Amino acid sequence: MQDKADLAFSLLLPIVIFALMYFAFGGASLFHGTAHVVNEDEGGAYSTVLLDQLEAIEEVDVELLTAEDADQKLANSDLLMVIYIPEDFSQNLAAGEPAQLLFKQRGNGGDEGQIVASLVRGVAEQINLQFQVYNEVNLALAEYDVPQENINITVEQYLDQERQSPTVAVHEETIGSNPDPVNLFLPGVVTMFVLFAITISARAIVEERRKGTLERLLTTRLSVGELFFGKFLSNISRGFVQTLILLALAYIVFQIFTPLTFIECLVIALIFAAAASALGMVIAAVARSEDSATWIAVFFTMVMVMLGGTFFEIGKGSVLYTISQFSINTYANDAFKTLIAEGGSLGDLGLELGVLAGVAVVGLILSRILFKVMPGGK
Amino acid sequence: MAEEFLVATDLHKSFNEHKAVDGVSFTIHKGEIFGLLGPNGAGKTTTIRMLATVLEPDKGDVTIGGHSIKHDADSVRALIGVCPQELALYEDLSALDNMVFFGRMVGLDGKEAKEQAQKHLKMMGLEKRAKGRVAKFSGGMKRRINLAIALMGHPELLFLDEPTVGIDPQSRNNIYETIEGLRDGGMTILYTTHYMEEANRLCHRVAIIDGGKIIALDTPHNLKKKIGPPDKVTLEDVFLKLTGRSLRD
Repeated sequence: MQDKADLAFSLLLPIVIFALMYFAFGGASLFHGTAHVVNEDEGGAYSTVLLDQLEAIEEVDVELLTAEDADQKLANSDLLMVIYIPEDFSQNLAAGEPAQLLFKQRGNGGDEGQIVASLVRGVAEQINLQFQVYNEVNLALAEYDVPQENINITVEQYLDQERQSPTVAVHEETIGSNPDPVNLFLPGVVTMFVLFAITISARAIVEERRKGTLERLLTTRLSVGELFFGKFLSNISRGFVQTLILLALAYIVFQIFTPLTFIECLVIALIFAAAASALGMVIAAVARSEDSATWIAVFFTMVMVMLGGTFFEIGKGSVLYTISQFSINTYANDAFKTLIAEGGSLGDLGLELGVLAGVAVVGLILSRILFKVMPGGK
Repeated sequence: MAEEFLVATDLHKSFNEHKAVDGVSFTIHKGEIFGLLGPNGAGKTTTIRMLATVLEPDKGDVTIGGHSIKHDADSVRALIGVCPQELALYEDLSALDNMVFFGRMVGLDGKEAKEQAQKHLKMMGLEKRAKGRVAKFSGGMKRRINLAIALMGHPELLFLDEPTVGIDPQSRNNIYETIEGLRDGGMTILYTTHYMEEANRLCHRVAIIDGGKIIALDTPHNLKKKIGPPDKVTLEDVFLKLTGRSLRD
């Protein structure tokens, strides 16, 4: 790392990428949808309650539309589902009559529409139950001279109590870590950082060979072996430090792993950086120019990223899956996912650790055999 | 006669079928400036690379300060400084950082490297640009830095491979004065150049190499005397007479 600006950029880049991840996924759950609502019962007591309860759901945003706008968007397929609250919604409920919500949808309403509809049904059912309780209590106390205000306060207290400690409670228990978007995307981002470092390091070494600085270094006290391992270690350092920054930020901000998992992730990052650096050294050893080093490295990096599960899962049994087993990114991604998203430990990662360490050792030996400070020389 | 500091014996080096150096032998005495002259592709740079332990000779050996480049390269590297023909610099670093970096690589500690760097930058007239990025320097300034780096660690033997190529007269003059200062200080120098007046001015003895073989070796005066009156003949006349007038690629 010769240039201070380059060094600063290298350290800043993971922070910027992390900031993007934070703003994209920070605090978000896996699902986030919008309920598109036409409220024809504007100002109605029960439609207001319904909308308030919908807005209270963290995963749902509420967008109010006019009927014309909603119809137009449905017709144009801009929306796949719209919820209509009819004009007489509150009036019917107040009169003890049944009230209806209308879901207009194109096809099945889309995945998001179906989930939102299900959440709306839940809210409607809750309102329905509350309403029934009010009605039953009112009917039961009709013969007694109990002020309506007292009935309302008592029923509301009862309902509040029920909300706090429901008779049938649902307890969620996640096996491993939370299936949070950060958990799912972080491994891919980390491995991409390390893989792109291959391109930079391979190009930098070829450039040094062309400019003669490697040759000049050989006339100092450095041996070829020291020069070679110095370059190898500097490549590892770049990839590892960037990964360390990303993982540390994820640890501090998102708190997605325990201290032990954090350390285990760093171990994987170090071994993966060693494997990637060894591949970078092989490319630097065989490339004849900076451009050829760049293109060879970019080709391998892109193939490894695509096949390694960074952007999409590859189903077992397919041809792509077989090919993906030749990508070190597959093993690094699997290792990080096991630790971060599935709550595993290093003990579960024998295959991944073995493959990554093996690639690092074989790559290092191969590149040392092929590496020349100058053509025809040492 | 001063002691023999560098002894090259029957050096050979081939690349594929091409014999780049073919049986070169010479000696350089302590405190001497020895010129190695030759047309393009004559084998000068390959010879220097072997002497500087970067290339291994196919045959023959060199001893520098009594140490063999084949068997004791580490000891040889402790005695030499190399100013390569290419500008082997880190252009994104400052002049000072380049010098300190290479100083550390020749075994100086941080303080020593900085002190030597500042001294050599001053000698090269670059002390005011010490913190400037090399990428922004002129060709002449880069050449001077290239030479200054070779002086880090106070080597006993300096290899200067065409140190003045492609620079302005002022920078060239600065380099001449630096080399003369080093010569007066007793440093041993192997100097290659295409500029015959440089060799005539600076070198105690010159060897003319062509086709990988040394075809003449003597003082500039004696070489000139071989083809005519030394005050009327130039070293360039000698060079062209010995190497011919055909163009070299």
